[in-house]
Amino acid sequence: MTTSDASTSDASTSDASTSETSPDDTHSRYELDETGFNEVPKKWRKFYRHWGGPTDKLARNEVICPVCKIVIRSARELQPGDKLYCMPCMSRMVVKEGPDGHLFAEVIF
Amino acid sequence: MSSDEDFDPHVLAEEEFIEEVQSFEFWFGAVEGYLSGKSYGHDPEAVDLPMDEVERDRLITTLCHYCVGETAALEGASGLVSLAPNHPAKIFMATQVVDEARHLEVFLRRLNDLGVEDTATEIQRQANPALVEFKDALLKLVASGDWDAAVFAQNVILETMEFTVFRAHARTADAVTAEILEGVISDERRHFGFGENDLGRRLAHDPAARARLRDVRQNLDGLVLGVFEGALADLEVPASDRHVLGRDYLETVERLGLTR
Repeated sequence: MTTSDASTSDASTSDASTSETSPDDTHSRYELDETGFNEVPKKWRKFYRHWGGPTDKLARNEVICPVCKIVIRSARELQPGDKLYCMPCMSRMVVKEGPDGHLFAEVIF
Repeated sequence: MSSDEDFDPHVLAEEEFIEEVQSFEFWFGAVEGYLSGKSYGHDPEAVDLPMDEVERDRLITTLCHYCVGETAALEGASGLVSLAPNHPAKIFMATQVVDEARHLEVFLRRLNDLGVEDTATEIQRQANPALVEFKDALLKLVASGDWDAAVFAQNVILETMEFTVFRAHARTADAVTAEILEGVISDERRHFGFGENDLGRRLAHDPAARARLRDVRQNLDGLVLGVFEGALADLEVPASDRHVLGRDYLETVERLGLTR
């Protein structure tokens, strides 16, 4: 199973092949596969996917771009303070944690 | 370094990121993804299903509005190439000129498909005066050399609203029009994203410029909002989808600190 399979499920429930913890990093790592997103050059495509709407549950390595509503994916589990780029809309953002523990992205200029 | 890390966009330095996403090289790789194999924005084998006269006339009117908007952006973006403050912005704006010309072309072709032979006359006849007024105002901002105001008018006001309207329209449109719109939507993501992020960085260094942009907003956003609200109503887009037109735009101006 890859994160393309896990894109609508919580990564914590994914099987062992979905993510692994590297010895020098407490963040789980994700092996990303392309999900059909084709609005950036091929080498960057696996880092983004289309959002499926409110029922589309994000994995721990994913946040929604507040500017263009594309799902941004990281090869690592995200933590507050991580910096991300949305290539489809050229935005730079920082990961924040909401009061209920969910992660979201805030644009930084 | 693993191959994943070789191409991880999130580890790029900000300047590297900007040079990458504003490059023609990036543009080629992006449009190749969603336009290759298409002819005038859609599958050349796609067959138009029958459309009744009312539906066809309504679509023609909407496409005429789109053509006015795309012409405004084409002429605006071409003027902005010379005003762009740095090389990556110049190069990006050149890619936008190409995109806007393509949008105009695919909408004109769609008008031809729908039986409109003299597209220039039809667009002039149907053009919404508010959108024409917006176009004139945008081109004046470009002619005055005001990069910030012109980018705000074009890439934030016009492009954000077009993006929202095209998305809503694509959900209800016939298959050929929907496919054309999907390609345009993918382009628009770059355009309004560039506008917000370029302005955001510039306003961070020059907060006083916000006052001027608030004036531009006050004078111009109502013109575009009115036209596209009308277009969504004409297209019988459900009211639940129509409210996002203003919402997406307001979220953008709020992030830029341009709300009053």
